[in-house]
Amino acid sequence: MVLLNSNQARRNVVVLSGLIALAVMFSGPSAFALDQPVSEVVSAADLEFFEKHVRPLLVSKCYECHSASDVNGGLRLDSLHGLRRGGDSGAVIVAKQPDHSRLIEAVRYQNRDMQMPPDGRLADAQIAVLEKWVAMGAPHPVDSTRSSNGRAPTGMSVEEGRQFWSFRPVADPDVPSVSQADWVANPIDAFVLNRLEEAGLRPASRADRRTLIRRVTLDLIGLPLTINEVEAFVADTSDDAFAQLVDRLLASPQYGVRWGRHWLDVARYADSNGLDENLAFGNAWRYRDYVMQSFNDDKQFNLFVTEQLAGDLLPDSTLEARTATGFLVLGAKVLAEPDMEKLVMDTVDEQLDTVGKAFMGMTIGCSRCHDHKFDPLTQSDYYALAAIFKSTKTFSGGNTGAIKYWNEHSFATEAEKEQLKNIDAEIAAKNKAATAFANTARTNIRTEAESKAAEYLYAATRFNAAATLRDIEAIANEFNLHARILHHCRKHLEFNHNGFFHAWHRLHEAGENGQLRTYYTALISAAMSADKSSAKAATFTSQDIEAARAAVKDASGFLAVPPKADYAFDTETLLEYFRLQEEARLVESRAMDEPSVMTVGEEKILTSLPIHIRGSHTNLGEPVARNFPAVMRSESGTSLPEDQSGRLQLAQWLTSEQHPLTARVFVNRVWTWHFGKGLVGTTENFGRLGDRPSHPQLLDWLAREFMRSGWSVKHLHRLILNSSTWQMASTTSEATAAEAEAVDPENRLLWKFRLQRLSAEQIRDSLLQVSGRLDTSIGGKSVPLRNKQFVFNHTSEDHTKYDSLRRAAFLPVIRNNLYTFFEQFDFPDPTMPTGHRNTTTVAPQTLLMMNSELVMDSADAFARKLIDQSSDNTQRITFAYQAAFGRHPTDIETQQAMAFVALLKAESFTAAGLDANDEHRAWATFCHSLFASNEFIYVK
Amino acid sequence: MIPMFDRQLQNRRQMLQTSAVGFGGLALNALLGGEAQAATKVEGPQAAKLPMLAARAKRIVFLFMKGGPSHVDTFDPKPLLTRDHGKPLPFDLPRVTFAKQGNLLKSPWKFKRFGESGLPVSELFPHVAQCVDDLCILRSVHGTNPAHGGALLKLHTGTDQFVRPSMGSWVVYGLGTENQNLPAFVTICPTLAHGGVNNWGSAFLPAYCQGTPIGNASLAASQATVKHIRNSRLSEDQQRRQLEFIGSLNQHHMESAGRNQALEGRLNSFELAFRMQATMPEVQDLSTESESTQRLYGIDDAVTEDFGRQCLLARRFLERDVRFVQVTHSDSEVQWDQHSNLYHGHTKNAAEVDKPIAGLLTDLKARGLLEDTLVLWGGEFGRTPTAQGNNGRDHNPHGFTMWMAGAGVKGGYAYGATDDYGYYSTVDRMHIHDLHATMLYLLGLNHERLTFQYAGRDFRLTDVAGNVAHDILV
Repeated sequence: MVLLNSNQARRNVVVLSGLIALAVMFSGPSAFALDQPVSEVVSAADLEFFEKHVRPLLVSKCYECHSASDVNGGLRLDSLHGLRRGGDSGAVIVAKQPDHSRLIEAVRYQNRDMQMPPDGRLADAQIAVLEKWVAMGAPHPVDSTRSSNGRAPTGMSVEEGRQFWSFRPVADPDVPSVSQADWVANPIDAFVLNRLEEAGLRPASRADRRTLIRRVTLDLIGLPLTINEVEAFVADTSDDAFAQLVDRLLASPQYGVRWGRHWLDVARYADSNGLDENLAFGNAWRYRDYVMQSFNDDKQFNLFVTEQLAGDLLPDSTLEARTATGFLVLGAKVLAEPDMEKLVMDTVDEQLDTVGKAFMGMTIGCSRCHDHKFDPLTQSDYYALAAIFKSTKTFSGGNTGAIKYWNEHSFATEAEKEQLKNIDAEIAAKNKAATAFANTARTNIRTEAESKAAEYLYAATRFNAAATLRDIEAIANEFNLHARILHHCRKHLEFNHNGFFHAWHRLHEAGENGQLRTYYTALISAAMSADKSSAKAATFTSQDIEAARAAVKDASGFLAVPPKADYAFDTETLLEYFRLQEEARLVESRAMDEPSVMTVGEEKILTSLPIHIRGSHTNLGEPVARNFPAVMRSESGTSLPEDQSGRLQLAQWLTSEQHPLTARVFVNRVWTWHFGKGLVGTTENFGRLGDRPSHPQLLDWLAREFMRSGWSVKHLHRLILNSSTWQMASTTSEATAAEAEAVDPENRLLWKFRLQRLSAEQIRDSLLQVSGRLDTSIGGKSVPLRNKQFVFNHTSEDHTKYDSLRRAAFLPVIRNNLYTFFEQFDFPDPTMPTGHRNTTTVAPQTLLMMNSELVMDSADAFARKLIDQSSDNTQRITFAYQAAFGRHPTDIETQQAMAFVALLKAESFTAAGLDANDEHRAWATFCHSLFASNEFIYVK
Repeated sequence: MIPMFDRQLQNRRQMLQTSAVGFGGLALNALLGGEAQAATKVEGPQAAKLPMLAARAKRIVFLFMKGGPSHVDTFDPKPLLTRDHGKPLPFDLPRVTFAKQGNLLKSPWKFKRFGESGLPVSELFPHVAQCVDDLCILRSVHGTNPAHGGALLKLHTGTDQFVRPSMGSWVVYGLGTENQNLPAFVTICPTLAHGGVNNWGSAFLPAYCQGTPIGNASLAASQATVKHIRNSRLSEDQQRRQLEFIGSLNQHHMESAGRNQALEGRLNSFELAFRMQATMPEVQDLSTESESTQRLYGIDDAVTEDFGRQCLLARRFLERDVRFVQVTHSDSEVQWDQHSNLYHGHTKNAAEVDKPIAGLLTDLKARGLLEDTLVLWGGEFGRTPTAQGNNGRDHNPHGFTMWMAGAGVKGGYAYGATDDYGYYSTVDRMHIHDLHATMLYLLGLNHERLTFQYAGRDFRLTDVAGNVAHDILV
């Protein structure tokens, strides 16, 4: 039940609640009205009225949702306590004042947002009963037992929360000692081995060099290395060969492309808004490039966080720092939401949800409508944070149409602004040209139809209303009429029998179609004649003349031109119209964007925000002051400036070394991206419903080490990659595996490396890299749309192309219509933060690998490389295995490959005779098979 | 000969158990049509599940009228609207409206009573009117969002704020699939605007629950097909040989990478993909239907051909036990969205869908499929009884009409009501959540128990609301 507050009601409730408190303490009397002094007893007559009229009504109409069995809106109407207490929205009865009682307001159905019962208004007499009862002071018998207040229990108290593992301070654990000490390359291994030894398990042996180089390269830069690079590493026997390889890869700019993309998953990055109105985020790429550059620069993670939350508020704010705040603007928004207040609060919610999950692994969004059911977060905590974001400007104020725009900061020069004016004018002119062309064409069709109005009516006698368009076309041709208009004309006649159309039906039924033609020719001619007093006009009444004129001139009448261009225009006109439209669209999509960044700013500062009862912005409760969640507040208290939103302080609080979550959550993300599974499996949920860490001490040690290193991400990489833990093989002997699986079937303790399937981007980039087609240039705009241009307006035509040969991280991310390859290979939903992608195996993936142009084109190019490489089949096969899998084929593999190619060629000979392409086709099919095989898309 | 080519295996089970080459042979059978129709039981998470409750419907077809057809001009006659034409609405407008509202605008169409039930239908739907005794007309549906995008998402996913699983995905999640050769949830010519993929996406539910689009709204139904269902360069024979070769590659890989569920799962996916590749063209081939059936759906008429094809295709999926089939009537003009030109737009739209819909109902009934198929018809909202401009109607999510037919619902029955003018739902109000709850109930699913835990809470299609409308059940 959504209830609106009125100040007066609230004042009365305060008085009332005092009395209720008394009443409950001295529950002596058998019954009393809501506002009566304790000593007064409700009269027997009043009680009888309640029992006879009111209670049955409450039972039949209200109890279903508002009683002990179901407490919707926190409101119970089956007890005195419940009636007095009211619901989540406060009191529902103001004694003796029906007009101020929300119960009465609700049943009167006056307020659109609050109508009870929801499935239909009560009868007037029933409403009158309730009104009378409230006017009497709402007499009610005393509850026999005091019921609970009907509220669901909340999850964890703040005190309990502080004891929960993820809210406890990050510990600084000692590195444990282990018996197999020679396995320990760095402290990570000691923590892991310690757990393994406790469980009586042994780590798998080290992976071989070919496996390691393929694993580490795909991991750090997302691409396979060339044959030469692989062979050089395999041949390098120096002790630090692997550490040097890691350093080389970390120094490659392609590292930022791969690891920046990981963060973009968390930031729910996209190049379009999605949701209801899918507008292009033409400047989102600047944020994407900022993220990639930050990883390449090994930007301190605490600064990275701060810039994304409050880059605009930093004392020496740069354009780069402003660009970072795009993080807050990138969410999917219901841009056509007509209720601005709802839109703003929904956007704040999206931001809170994202910030909570991305940095704290907390599902803050759960406490928008009620206290968190599992974690120590209250609704007050939510609105205390929401006040910060409501004081933040996410929408630009400029536009007033149905679609709202997000906030941007322009850095265009005067010259660019001038240039943009011209471009905008050109686009407008192109659009206008298309529209003007269509309007003219439509007017011509209309004028011609009007000139043949009588012929339409006559032709309409030749078929019945159910005739197919094909039949009608024949008749239309005979009379040289527009078939769709004639079709409509007949339908119109079917719906209209009077006035101007009366004669048509009368004469048509009488079989006098010839007379019908003569009549309407004369009538319409008279009606449309410029000279109304002409002799012709005399044969018709002026009423008929007016009706005829009106009917012919009625734009949606019997001569209406179909609104749909396809139906109105002939082929030639239609093609020209489409050409003009396409021209306008292309000019727009290729036009220069205003140089600007998606960014937040400061809004009117709210130092407090009312709790939104049940999450509704139309139902406000007590205000709460801006603050951070109580369970994580620092002891020194929170101090937020009166003249700023508080985002900067939020960022400082998050990146304080005392914060229990920020470092833990991030090191767990990095671990997940390296190992395919986190120390905490639920990367976005460190709360009660999330997983507990498999290695709590290791998690804390990594978090501490991360902060000690100055929040260096590359330092973390080096630690992890150079550990024996990361370098384990993904297989062990059968016997060891059986033993380990009996103890730890999910490999939580890390007794071997986890076999990983490549991500969508890795698969696609590997295809292009191996076939020599990849363009490794970095950065820049890649969505083929102008900023704010519709991806799809009302059409479903997909203008976005994915045929670029640049790395997948630079392909457009279109919400609502992801690139098929991304979608099928578990690219995350770009509307919610994702730290751990799914790995599904479904049939459409296979169709894609077997039948898509991307894979087949790559196989064609790869085959050409093989053929150019050597004329010897064995050498070709060896080359192919090295390039695709980073290893040599075995003899039997070579044999099988040769047989396969030979078979395809032999088959082609018999089927189509000798063809120069057969050689290539056969090898392309061989290459295609390598791409489709498991070895290509899995990493050991 | 080398080992892979002379491997002769007796039966499918043995092939799968012993060899990674197995799928090649299976796919071969599938390609040749040998196994395509075999009613092999599906195993794993997608397996058909027993419903929680006694199910009345086994499958659903949703005929979605994009843009918002006007209820007061189709299935919800309002005599007072005609009487008070041109006067102001005698009560308050909603707090938020999409566009500026004018005075009351009467319907340009007349209503007549049809069938034994005598339910009124406007002259826009002469063919559907003949089926009125099978319809359960829901006149009190209401949603919350007055804009297309929000309303589409609300109708399809139960929320207009987040990306959540669509109703088809929930149904597949709850009931699994009964046909392993086809996706369990297909959507024919869906719109890519206003929520797009999210309207058939599985969000956090497993990927097999997502809808498979057959074309999209910018394509003619005759051109609509599943992406990458055919290979444009290889003959079937060549592709078969290629599959066998990939089988041998995978076998070698399994030997070095060790036993692994994911790798085995991928072998399975080859098998499924090739079943689908073999089956889909056959399902989509409407030429095997008799001429009289094609005529029944209006495929012989340019006006009705496109939607007729969609409806006939839907029937072919339904009779193959596809669980959830959606058919969308949408074009580049937002179809039913008559902010102006109500008369012309609705005339055209109704003419395009009327005969095909009646054809589908008649055909399903004749084949005995209507007994366990639920048909749902409607748009994302209705339209206002008040005028927008001089001849249009605005969006109205506050009260509108959808209808059901078939499995488990009363035929020739009208449920609920809007006010005297058709603005607000007033009697037996049925929120979108209630519609979803009822739909799931008919399929044997309890909407409060059909949950999925994600990001720390149990999610439902109906969020924390939804009541089953028991009055409409047989």
